[in-house]
Amino acid sequence: MPTIAIVILVLFSAALAGIFVVRPAITVSRAGKILAFGVFFFLPLFSLVAGMENEMQRSESTAFCLSCHIMEPYGKSLHIDDPSYLAGAHFQNHRVPADEACYTCHTNYAMFGTVKAKFGGLRHLYIYYLGKPPLPENIKLYEPFNNRECLHCHLGARSFEEGATHNADPATLAAVKANTLSCVSSGCHDTVHNVGHWGDKVKFWNGGS
Amino acid sequence: MHPGSSMERRLRISGIMVILGLLVEALCLVWSKPIAFVALVCIGGALVGVGVLFFLYSLISAPSHPTGSSGATAGK
Repeated sequence: MPTIAIVILVLFSAALAGIFVVRPAITVSRAGKILAFGVFFFLPLFSLVAGMENEMQRSESTAFCLSCHIMEPYGKSLHIDDPSYLAGAHFQNHRVPADEACYTCHTNYAMFGTVKAKFGGLRHLYIYYLGKPPLPENIKLYEPFNNRECLHCHLGARSFEEGATHNADPATLAAVKANTLSCVSSGCHDTVHNVGHWGDKVKFWNGGS
Repeated sequence: MHPGSSMERRLRISGIMVILGLLVEALCLVWSKPIAFVALVCIGGALVGVGVLFFLYSLISAPSHPTGSSGATAGK
């Protein structure tokens, strides 16, 4: 449901509740009682669930993640015009959905990955508003990036399975799949966002959203 | 206290809480900042939840056979 429709529903529910607040005597009649039950029970709960569902969806958007000031350099890194920058290359070539770029790579593809990501987001908020947020270049992942998140898309892909570098050593692919050889921190694809280390020569792509 | 006025007072209180919760929700929906999600759940959700629970409580706590009342507290 679009946000504007939910806002209209919420305001409509509030207006109906307002009628009962001003004229509670409406509940004298049987029809009034039934209406009151709808206005004070069904409509508010439905509006609340719809609103929360909408917010949950929105919290997965790239714009939502980048709305925190501290994340701005990470958003900028998605536009670096250099294919060796992993995040930028994935974003610009739509290897991940551009409107859910952060969430796609940084959620956990295990059973409770989404829940864990939401709690991680709450922790971010706590640090941002009540703690001492680090400088953007000092932000670290809570735990090492798991290859599972890369393999969610790349496993079985020809470029991954038959890639020359991946097959130069027969042990490499097995180690990558077993998460004993990291994709992003073993010297192969380690240029991801690199915030704070761009230097002067880095160029930015003007396209995309 | 007149049972009808007691019921009406409870309806007003639950209505005001529900309205406040819904207004907080509406504000959070148009305010696209991460803190809006927390405000929606913690403030809006709590107000709506308490309002709904108070409404249900007012239904079950209303006398089932009001005597000499205009009928606003039928509780059915």
